[in-house]
Formats: sequence, structure tokens, C-alpha cells
Amino acid sequence: MSPRTRHSLELVLDNLVWFMLVFVLAVFSTFIPNFFQLGIFANIIEASSVLGVMSIGLALVIIAGHMDLSVESVAALSAMAVGIMFCSSGIGLGLQLHPDWLMVPVSLAVALAVGAIIGVINGFLIVRLQMSAFIITLASYIWVRGLVLVVSGGRSAQDLAPAIRWFGIQRLAGLPLTAWIAVGCFVVFSLILAKTPFGRHLVMIGGNETATFRAGIRVNRNLIIAFVLAGAIAGLAGWLLAIRTSGATANLGVGLLFNAFAAVVIGGVSLKGGVGTLPGVYAGVLLLSAINTAINLMALPANFTQVIHGLLVLAAVLLDAFKQTIRQKLA
Amino acid sequence: MSEPLLVLDNVTKNYGAIRALRGISFSIARGEVVALLGDNGAGKSTLVKIIAGGLEPTSGRMLFEGREFLAKTPAEAKAAGIETVYQDLSLCTNVDVVANFFMGREITRKVLGVPVLDERAMESVVAKALANAGTRIPSLRTKVEHLSGGQRQAIELNRFVHWGGKLVLLDEPFAALGVEQTRRGLDMIRQVASQGIGVVIITHIMQQAFQVADRIVVIRQGVVAGDVARNKTSPDAVINMITGETLAGAGPAG
Repeated sequence: MSPRTRHSLELVLDNLVWFMLVFVLAVFSTFIPNFFQLGIFANIIEASSVLGVMSIGLALVIIAGHMDLSVESVAALSAMAVGIMFCSSGIGLGLQLHPDWLMVPVSLAVALAVGAIIGVINGFLIVRLQMSAFIITLASYIWVRGLVLVVSGGRSAQDLAPAIRWFGIQRLAGLPLTAWIAVGCFVVFSLILAKTPFGRHLVMIGGNETATFRAGIRVNRNLIIAFVLAGAIAGLAGWLLAIRTSGATANLGVGLLFNAFAAVVIGGVSLKGGVGTLPGVYAGVLLLSAINTAINLMALPANFTQVIHGLLVLAAVLLDAFKQTIRQKLA
Repeated sequence: MSEPLLVLDNVTKNYGAIRALRGISFSIARGEVVALLGDNGAGKSTLVKIIAGGLEPTSGRMLFEGREFLAKTPAEAKAAGIETVYQDLSLCTNVDVVANFFMGREITRKVLGVPVLDERAMESVVAKALANAGTRIPSLRTKVEHLSGGQRQAIELNRFVHWGGKLVLLDEPFAALGVEQTRRGLDMIRQVASQGIGVVIITHIMQQAFQVADRIVVIRQGVVAGDVARNKTSPDAVINMITGETLAGAGPAG
């Protein structure tokens, strides 16, 4: 095999999920009436913003060789905190700040801080006490959701302050600002992961933690930062979720975790750690969103969505194994 | 001989009731190659981990360049100038050759105040280092998982030669190497030592020890069973020390 064919083959393998996305969009555009329009594509991006942001945090810790099951509950708690403070009906306290725009940074800071605090707790328990990330974050998944129920009393907050809602309404080039925030996050964190020493260290820790420790990389510190980032990013997802629903309910975001896992795996991130890129994860997110949109357009019962997502995850895992075999033949 | 580079003074290590090291004392000078020999389970790897900062000794003390020394982490040992090549390779197979070579020491440049990896600068350094050592690897951008065992070990060896430091610990560095590569590896060790760097090499192969070492230290059951200059001993005498037919500390004449 000539170096050039080998090189292009590797390129295809590395970006397989993007080819799948293009293929799926092409198929849908051909066979589903009314699919091929700008509005639909904008909708696919818009509908994926919360899931997309959440997947970034999850992908970071998985690439570093760990796991964070708590992101969904963390997003719900952040959304609930924002909802209680800045919603005017339901359990909302209707906090007013002057000038109005001040509510934006304050609510965002609250959401990020809630997420970061839980991230610190997760990271500390996992790294310092050497406990399994699966168990620790499973516990967080449960108790954080419990906290949402406790602080809300099972009720909901509605009518988010218009100054914050503005992000979900104001459009730029056909997309609401919330969607641009998600895209921006992907760009920023993709660069961090691929181009900075911190990102490089995360990938290497995911590959061989002992080696990185021996090489003098501060593994524990990097891992705690990764968990704090995952928490804070989940907090941001919660903030976007509150804007999207103009408030917060006690069961907000239930099921998002599994979609996020699906997106991450479909995006080419290995659950063993050390493998995967964030642009790939974004393609995975868009792929899921495109399929949801197609199901809606075809007026299929929404219950099919879950079946299809499940099969997609299975397909992604099989594909990953298949890619491994091809790579071994290439080497 | 000048002031020794590293002195171990009665270093012990207990794992619960098991006494892995029962009091190890020896020293290494600058530019000296010491071969550390001993049967399986004699405590060689434990000793290396203590010097390299992966393990804390139960008691005893170490002097490095005349100062009290105890590395709590490999990072501290590295900062002091101690490089280690471990028996099980310390490479991240999921990243490329360049990333492995610079693991934890990446060259960066500031973009808007943010440190960004300078891939081109790193690649040229690696290319030069590997070329000097005569190691051929098809592409420095290949992930290490696609490389052979020998190529991987060559990367590790070149890495320590490049970074140097003051003391190098090698724990069975040639286990996966072919004849020619081993010979080149031994040359590398002599070359490193000639720069005034102290080298401790653990090996099972008597021939290698005699080829490269200035001094041979034998560990048996957690104590030093022999500490002799290479040119004052013979492979048979060393084997006797390893298996325990000679008294501790006795260097045979001849």
C-alpha cells in the first residue's frame, strides 16, 4: 500500500463519524419530503445545543480514562438554581437585578459554580481516595438529582427573566445565541484538547496513567481539573436548558445522560480512554439530533427514538472494533 | 574518586511483614556505570523505585550530590536530575512518537497568553535525536501502538539519552531488543556515562553487565551481597554472589 492511500485511509477512519453524518443527511434529504431546507438544518443544530455542551464535559473525562455519570443531574441542579433565583412564577423567587443584563452573568456564574463544586467533590473523591469514578459519579448522579427534588419540593419554576431568555430568542445567522454558545464551546475545547499541554496530558493519562505519572506529569491535579471542567460544563448545559424551557422542573433533563454517552461513543471516543476528539463528538451529537428530527418529520411515534439511539450506540461500538482491525492491518 | 553522586545508606523497605530491602548501602560516582545484579525477587526493582520516587523507603537515607535526598514523586526525582527507564515500558501507545518523547516536557509557545504545543519544534528535536542514535522509525507521527517492541524500547532509550540529567536508572532496558540494537544500547550507555552522568543498570544477563559496567553490585535477599570493580572479578564469582555461595561484601581476588 502506498503511503498516500494509507494516509487517506487513516483520514477516513479518523473522521468516520463525519462521513456518517453527511451520508445520513444525504439519505434523509433524498427520501424524507421537506427535510432538505435550511430551517431543518438550523433546527438540528439548535436542538442539539444542550446535549452537545454536556457531551463535551463527559468526553473530556472519558478521554482521560475515567467517567462522569453525574453530568445530567448536575445540569438539572444548575438549571433549578437559576430557575429558583430568576423565575417569576412557580417556586421562582423572581430576583431582580438592575440593570437587567446583570442577571445574565450572575445566573451563568451560579450555574457554573454549582457544576464546578460537584465536579470538585467528584474529582477529589476519585483521585485522592482512589475510588472508582463509576461508583462515585453514580452516587452523585443519584444524590444531586435528589437535591434537585429537595430544593424544588417536586414543583417547578416558570417564566425566566426576559433578560436571560433573550439568549434563546435572539438569532444570529438563523441560529439562536444558545446554539452559538454550544458551537463556541466545541471550538474552544477542541483547541484545548488538541493544542495545549493540558489537553495532551489528558489524552496521555487516558492512554497510560502510570507512564504519565513516571514522566512527572501531575496526574491527580490534571484529573481533578478535568472533573471540575466536566461539572462546570454540565452547569452551562443546565443554564442553556433553563433558557430553553424558560424555567426548571424537578425532572428536567432526565435521560440526557444516555444520549450524551451515545453521542460520545458514536463520536469515536473509546470508553477505555485515551482515544477520541471533540469534533468527532460534535458530529455524534449532530447525528443523533438529525435522526430525532427525521423521526419527527416522518411523524413516527417518538417512542422509536430510544430504540434507534440504542441500535446506533451498538453500531458505533461495532464500528469501533472494526476500525481497530483495519488499523492493525494498516500498521 | 571525587564526591559520590548518589549514596545509599542502609535503605530498607518493608511491605507489611515482608522485608523487601533489609539495609542497602552503596554509592555511585559521576560518570560511573554500576550494574545491579540479583536473582528474581532480590529487591532490585524496589530499590530503583525508591531512588526514582515511586516508593518511599521504610528507613535509611540517601545523599544526592552530597545533600539529603528523598523524592516523593517521580516529578521530584526528575527535577533533581534522575531519569528512569522502567522494565515495563513507560510509553503512551495512544499518541505519536513526538508526544511520547516530550511527555511532560512539551515545548510550547504563547498564543494570546495561552501555552500552545509547538509541534514543529518538537518534531525537529526528535528527528535529530533519533538520527544521532541511528534509530530508524518510519514516521514520527505514527502512534506508538503501531510500532514494534524494539522500536518502542529504542524510543525510551533515546528519550533518556536526550534528556540526560545527572543520574540514569535503567531497569532491564534491553529485554525486547535484538542483538544489534542491544549493542547500540550498550554504546549509548557508555556515551551517556562519558558525559559525566551516573548510570545504574539492572540486568539479568551477565555478559551485558561485564560489557558495560565499571562496577558490579549484587543484591541478595534485600542486602548488598557484593560490590566489586568489574576488572577485579569474573562472571563465575558474581554468580556465586547472586546464588549465595560467597559471604556478603566479599570481593574475590582474581
